[in-house]
Amino acid sequence: MVKEIEKAGFPIVQMCNLVPVAKTVGSNRIVPTISIPYPLGDPDTSKEDQWKLRCHRTKVALEALATDITEQTVFRV
Amino acid sequence: MRLEIGNFYVKDIIFGDRLSLNDGILTINKEEALAYIREDDRITEADLYIAKPGDKIRMCPVKEAIEPRVRLDGRGLFPGYTSELAPAGDGVLHALKNCSVLVVGRHWGGFQDGIIDMSGEGQKLTYFGQLNNIVLVADTNEEFERHEQQKKNDALRRAGHKLAEFIGACVKDLTPEDKDVYETTPMIRRDAGIEKLPSVVYVMQPQSQMEAMGYNDLVYGWDTNHMLPTVMSPTEILDGAIVSGSFMPVSSKWSTYDMQNTPNLRVLMDAHGKTINFLGVIMSNLNVALEQKERAAQFVAQIAKSLGADGAVVAEEGYGNPDADFVGCLVALEDAGVKTVGITNESTGRDGHGQPLVTLDEKCDAIVSCGNVGELISLPPMETVLGELQALARDGNSGGWDYDEVLGPSVREDGSIILENNGMFCGDQVVGWSPKQMMEF
Amino acid sequence: MKKVILYVNQFFGQIGGEEKAGVEPEIHEGQIGPAVQFAKELDGIAEVTHTIICGDNYMGSNTDAAVAAILDMLADKEMDLFLAGPAFQAGRYTVACGTICKAVKERYGVPVVTSMNEETPGVDMFKKDMYILKGGNIASKMRKDVKAMANVAKKLLAGEPVGSASEEGYFARGIRHQAWRKDMKPASERMLDMLVRKLNGEPFVSELPIPKIDRVPIAPAIVNLGEARIALLNTGGIVPVDNPDRIQSASATRWGRYDISGDKELRGGEYKTIHAGFDPAAADADPNVITPVDALKELQKEGVFGSLHQYFYTTVGTGTTESEAARMAREIIPHLEEDHVNGCILVST
Repeated sequence: MVKEIEKAGFPIVQMCNLVPVAKTVGSNRIVPTISIPYPLGDPDTSKEDQWKLRCHRTKVALEALATDITEQTVFRV
Repeated sequence: MRLEIGNFYVKDIIFGDRLSLNDGILTINKEEALAYIREDDRITEADLYIAKPGDKIRMCPVKEAIEPRVRLDGRGLFPGYTSELAPAGDGVLHALKNCSVLVVGRHWGGFQDGIIDMSGEGQKLTYFGQLNNIVLVADTNEEFERHEQQKKNDALRRAGHKLAEFIGACVKDLTPEDKDVYETTPMIRRDAGIEKLPSVVYVMQPQSQMEAMGYNDLVYGWDTNHMLPTVMSPTEILDGAIVSGSFMPVSSKWSTYDMQNTPNLRVLMDAHGKTINFLGVIMSNLNVALEQKERAAQFVAQIAKSLGADGAVVAEEGYGNPDADFVGCLVALEDAGVKTVGITNESTGRDGHGQPLVTLDEKCDAIVSCGNVGELISLPPMETVLGELQALARDGNSGGWDYDEVLGPSVREDGSIILENNGMFCGDQVVGWSPKQMMEF
Repeated sequence: MKKVILYVNQFFGQIGGEEKAGVEPEIHEGQIGPAVQFAKELDGIAEVTHTIICGDNYMGSNTDAAVAAILDMLADKEMDLFLAGPAFQAGRYTVACGTICKAVKERYGVPVVTSMNEETPGVDMFKKDMYILKGGNIASKMRKDVKAMANVAKKLLAGEPVGSASEEGYFARGIRHQAWRKDMKPASERMLDMLVRKLNGEPFVSELPIPKIDRVPIAPAIVNLGEARIALLNTGGIVPVDNPDRIQSASATRWGRYDISGDKELRGGEYKTIHAGFDPAAADADPNVITPVDALKELQKEGVFGSLHQYFYTTVGTGTTESEAARMAREIIPHLEEDHVNGCILVST
């Protein structure tokens, strides 16, 4: 899916926990998330913490879209 | 440790007055067995059937399979689960061979349940098509999960384990036809002749991915989600230390019957002293977060290295994201200098074009591959259905669907079915039975 | 009786050697060259009605014209299967066989079979598109190569399943299916064999050769994020609770898009996940943990990016094949183009 959208010319960032999977699939911009069932908010943490984490990682993803890269890149969070 | 399994080969099963085995004919007093099942007041409806190879029987939704056995010392078959916690792997047990207890939902199925056919094309798609099966078809009062796609199936699965103990008891005082003896010696005190052979560990990755309790495989009754990789004796696995869970598309699952008989362990134990020095089992797990997956792989590689393993075999109970645990573990072992073989199934889709595992690494150069979860399977109607066939289409079975623009529903009016291999009960047999292999076309 | 047509080059078409490699395509009724042996092999099943001959150089330098001419010649012919070659180790001939087989298959929808030596360029160019038997390196292997092609052709003509690449002797087409081994050797024994061989440094064959990763060019970065329009997609199965598009919980073939314009929020109880590959509790309670609509709206307010595309897109990733995923993506792309989306965030589980 990511590759097809990128092929159409849209920069696309994949947010996922399983970075090796995204790498194998061939995603070019990757932002790690914290788990499979809850990528962007651990229910064992407070609502406030979840919100902070979600805003932060989503922001990293947006910035990744605006970052020039020359090879497959996993962005730091 | 020394585990002796006395084998009693079941040729036929009938209902009769007294639970007994005579000349290979297993007689079950149905009412007595059902009364025993109904002691669990969660069971609201129960009946027993017999399903033998060649019978025109389809079972759906199948939830569990167990080999009937008895421990001569009176210990329960599954310590920490059906009986008090006690060590497994040592002692004498009697087993009814070519025979299994199957548990089938009377009405309701779920993502993790499956299909077994006893004849026709579907027969060879599961291991259980070739066994003489005692089939418990039952319903429960577990209203909280009646319409859940993911079911714990706790009452039904426990009923199956208890029934396997109940039936197995009939051979306690009989003399078995033959015996399998599995003996292990301490890893660091072995004959010089054996020490010269390459040493090998077997790494099991049982299904442990549900963070809610009650769905995962159990080790001595302990939820495998709560464990890190540890060392076990192969005889413990063959003696009921592991109980199958209720999560994952079913063709990838290992039933309790599979655990009790794990062919991979048996061939490694048979090869011990001949071509390899089989050290034992590293019981690992499957996880949901990358860090957990990496942590487990790190543990496995460290244990293998500490034990001095030259080689390893890794088997995963699952597909999809568990492939990341599997590949991660293979790579960690190879990086530690351990020559590794993996056993798995694949998801190449209906058209066979898909990427076989969700992660791939060139270090995984030796893989045994047992099936394609996405293989499309059409099976004709069967005269008899045990359970409720609609469960395949209606209840979110991983291999079925209620609606498809092109293929129609999984369950057709005439009783024929179309499904993905995903829905065949423990069909991919990664534990080692599988005569299926992935091939290039 | 089924009907088969064979393509050969100028040499096997008995026109001449290298000096005749420029000849234009011609079609002859009946059998010329290898067609005679094909006719024998297929006796009683199919007749070889025509032989098409074309010079290798003509096909190589005037490909479009040659292909068009041959397709025209076939337009009024009855044909159940098309054969080309065998091409052995003749580089240009292998490419010609692959080119014409592919064109015939696409235009007329008939199965095609050819044969090449593994050292030739035609193999990698065309193995995914057709059955290419593994052929010999010299023409003296003619009998054997024709027989191998005919064996596959017979199955295709009879509508029978063609065996695996190793059983039938063709180049693997990148398609993997489960099949029963003839010897029914269980996985446990295959594992032990492979293990012992690997430990002893002996050769072994993996049942899962690791394929090369296919990459796409990196799309250029968004120049002005502050004005960019962003679309949100997910493979975590977030849908309205009644799952209006009936997206499957695994092996999905359907997708949906759901309005998040204005002040719309994703609340538990109104949205849920139908992905069956993980514990759904967290996402059911708060769908934003998979589709961060709340965070995106806040970041938009802060001016981090310009605007949010009014729908988010959903499918389920587990067990979904690449080809289905690619098709769904191609169906989604026009919606993104229409709304002038500048970049996408895809959350996967």
